[in-house]
Amino acid sequence: MTTLQPAGARAPHGLPARILPGAGRVARQAARRLVLLAVLLAGVFAAIELFPGDAAGATSDRGVTSADLAARRTALGLDRPVAERFWDWMTGLPTGDLGTTARGRHVTDVLAGPFPNTLLLGTLALALSTAGALALGSWATLRPGGRTDRAIDALSTAAYALPEFVVSVALLLVLSQWTGWLPAVTLTGPDGRPESWTMIVLPLLSLAIPQIGWNTRIVRGALADQAALPHVQAAILDGLPRRRVLSHHMLPGALPAVAVGIATSAGMLLGGTVVVETLFNYPGIGAILAGAITDRDTPLVAGVVAAAGAAISLLLLIADLVRTTALGDERR
Amino acid sequence: MGVTRRQLLWAGAGIGAAGALAACSSGTGGSKDAAPAGTASSQPRAGGTLKVGALGKASAITRDPHGTQANESDYLIISLLYDTLAIPGTATNTAPRLAASWKPSEDLKTWRFTIADGAAFHDGTPVTADDVVWSLQRLRNTPAGKSRLPGIQPEGIKAEDARTVVLVSDYPNADLPLLTRLTTFVLKKDTKDDAIAGAPGTGPFKLDWYRDGNARLVRNDTWYGGKVLLDAVEVRLFESPQAMANALLAGQIDVASNVGAVAARTAEARKDVQILCRPNDMAMPIVMRTADGPFADPRVREALRLAVDRDAMVKQVLSGYGSVGNDILGTGDPAFAKDIPQRKRDLAKAKQLLADAGFDTSQTYDLITTEDISGLAESATLFATQVREAGVKINVVKQDSKIFWDATWLKSPLYTTYWGTNDSVVFFVSKTMLSDAGQNEAAFKDPAFDEAYRAATATADAAERGRLLHRLQEIEFAQSGYLLWGMADGIDLAGAAVRDLPKLPGYGRVQLEKTWLAR
Repeated sequence: MTTLQPAGARAPHGLPARILPGAGRVARQAARRLVLLAVLLAGVFAAIELFPGDAAGATSDRGVTSADLAARRTALGLDRPVAERFWDWMTGLPTGDLGTTARGRHVTDVLAGPFPNTLLLGTLALALSTAGALALGSWATLRPGGRTDRAIDALSTAAYALPEFVVSVALLLVLSQWTGWLPAVTLTGPDGRPESWTMIVLPLLSLAIPQIGWNTRIVRGALADQAALPHVQAAILDGLPRRRVLSHHMLPGALPAVAVGIATSAGMLLGGTVVVETLFNYPGIGAILAGAITDRDTPLVAGVVAAAGAAISLLLLIADLVRTTALGDERR
Repeated sequence: MGVTRRQLLWAGAGIGAAGALAACSSGTGGSKDAAPAGTASSQPRAGGTLKVGALGKASAITRDPHGTQANESDYLIISLLYDTLAIPGTATNTAPRLAASWKPSEDLKTWRFTIADGAAFHDGTPVTADDVVWSLQRLRNTPAGKSRLPGIQPEGIKAEDARTVVLVSDYPNADLPLLTRLTTFVLKKDTKDDAIAGAPGTGPFKLDWYRDGNARLVRNDTWYGGKVLLDAVEVRLFESPQAMANALLAGQIDVASNVGAVAARTAEARKDVQILCRPNDMAMPIVMRTADGPFADPRVREALRLAVDRDAMVKQVLSGYGSVGNDILGTGDPAFAKDIPQRKRDLAKAKQLLADAGFDTSQTYDLITTEDISGLAESATLFATQVREAGVKINVVKQDSKIFWDATWLKSPLYTTYWGTNDSVVFFVSKTMLSDAGQNEAAFKDPAFDEAYRAATATADAAERGRLLHRLQEIEFAQSGYLLWGMADGIDLAGAAVRDLPKLPGYGRVQLEKTWLAR
């Protein structure tokens, strides 16, 4: 790999060489994320092994004999070394086989309903927090140091500092119990989805509000950095309208930092779903994860982690891509 | 911060009646029904859909009637769809269901169960003895089968004719029908394991749809057991009692099944919500090891029983939703010995007994507990404070549930336990107090006790049997390793229109065929 390629040379498949380093970078990033996910899954297997008790005991009736328990342990394969079980599980992964739970159901069946629900909730929350953060951050930037800026600064800090369950309880009291505007919990319909779209509003807001706080601060900070750059200063001195300066000169430069912030939010959102889904009875994987850990149900825990991990990895990859492209643009 | 996270979560349900006294709409007294007096709603009427919330974990769903049921929601759905041979009763422990009647042989070893007239599966096929035999054998062959049908071998389950099933016990057992109350769900003979989920039952409701632990069931118009009132029952799974209480208070569900005392307290201010108490639902006794260790001397155990302030326990641990216990398990049983005088707090006598027994009061003793159920750890803490007044120093140790059931249960000198599924005197005697019982929690061994039990199970004569059951309870009261300070009520919340919900403790709460809606 010592051959130097002349700038502008065309690579195989007719792609312009300028994109190639980016594509290679993405491929490398993807590979790195996959390895990370595999390490994480190995960690899941190891961690559950370290917890007290095992799936055979956790999913048996109280008072079964030790002989029955041993038989169940064998039936679940728990008598085999954890590394072996991990390898078996991992090798099934490419075929879409996530294994069988300690209660004898296919992990894919258990997740088939809840995972899309969580994905929907998470995606909506992420979209809402992105839109909210961009709007609030930009609004504050247009009035630097003003009352709006200070108010948004204080509120976003407060929102980010609030745990999801505090936000949830407050929203529940105000929007459901006092006003009766929204249903208090989600009831699952025959298709495994919430019976009504109104049921998703409270969990959505509970998840999004802390993340709006977090991302607003990032947007505001990134825009402040941009404001200090010479080309932005020049644009302002040229007398361009502030909105135009914001949209054409500051936001593009702030994009990489914002993308990373939003990607970070994805991880925090997933953590929040465990609490929020339980509180609002939303049929997602948060509740499944909590139950599976209690049951020491390794394949199910790993299944949830793999599904959520894949979704988040994809998001991080996109964030990376946005950053690479934006930085590439800048270098040009 | 004086507010814990749990309290804050409950705040969502509008907590505020913290000091208020427990008030059950009906149940024990049955007099304070929330229904507006004088309305014409006292006559049961047919129709309507009842939405019931029940606790469960989406990760632990099972649809196999003979499987390990961790979810109350699953058990409810299964019980509406399928019938057991017998169900828990009020006047007697065991009431008929799919089996209309039963009769023992002279030696109480062979029992003949007759299938109810007109019993049929939802697809119209009549229930035969072969179906029952196949189902019971399937149940018996599950890992927990031996403890579900103790003393009955798979070969001992036979069909005598099309309508008669014979169960043969290894030993005389006057209480054998008790065993048929809980998981003896009947399916069609030779139902394949992978077809269990959609298999037709014989119950009062038929399956409309099922999804991830939630279900809709519609009335079985041809049910052999009588007229079913509701058009449909919708069961919704709830991971947390908080969310279930919120759903009820918001009117999204009609019943919050077994939602607990904390939810009841949050609902006390609401006139449009019924708080229904089912007495004798949950026992959470303290276990004192009798075989060895610091509590082996009966005088020490007696002293602790005298040192506990039972009224305060019920009031504080159960928020008043419960009743005082008398150290005898099986309080809901018609055979429960109500005439044995209630043990009351007597610190002077307790101290005297401890001194007589030479109990080392300079030591601190560990009381091991878990947070498996609401109030359990709190009961341990309050108990420790109370017995301190008798000079006994107790240190409460909260243990992870898995460690507890592995390392503490059946082994440690002092720990808390709980029982929520069965209520008969004989159940506890046979499961937890016989010398060779598999779940002998206090390692209790008393030949006279074992002898009285064997005599009782081999006695058909009701009066003689009653005398023997009384004898068992006397020994239990005086000697056993249990300190039963109280019994927690089972608590359901219901909307104002709901009528005639089951009032029985434990799994007696799942029969909804007589429930109706006044709206």
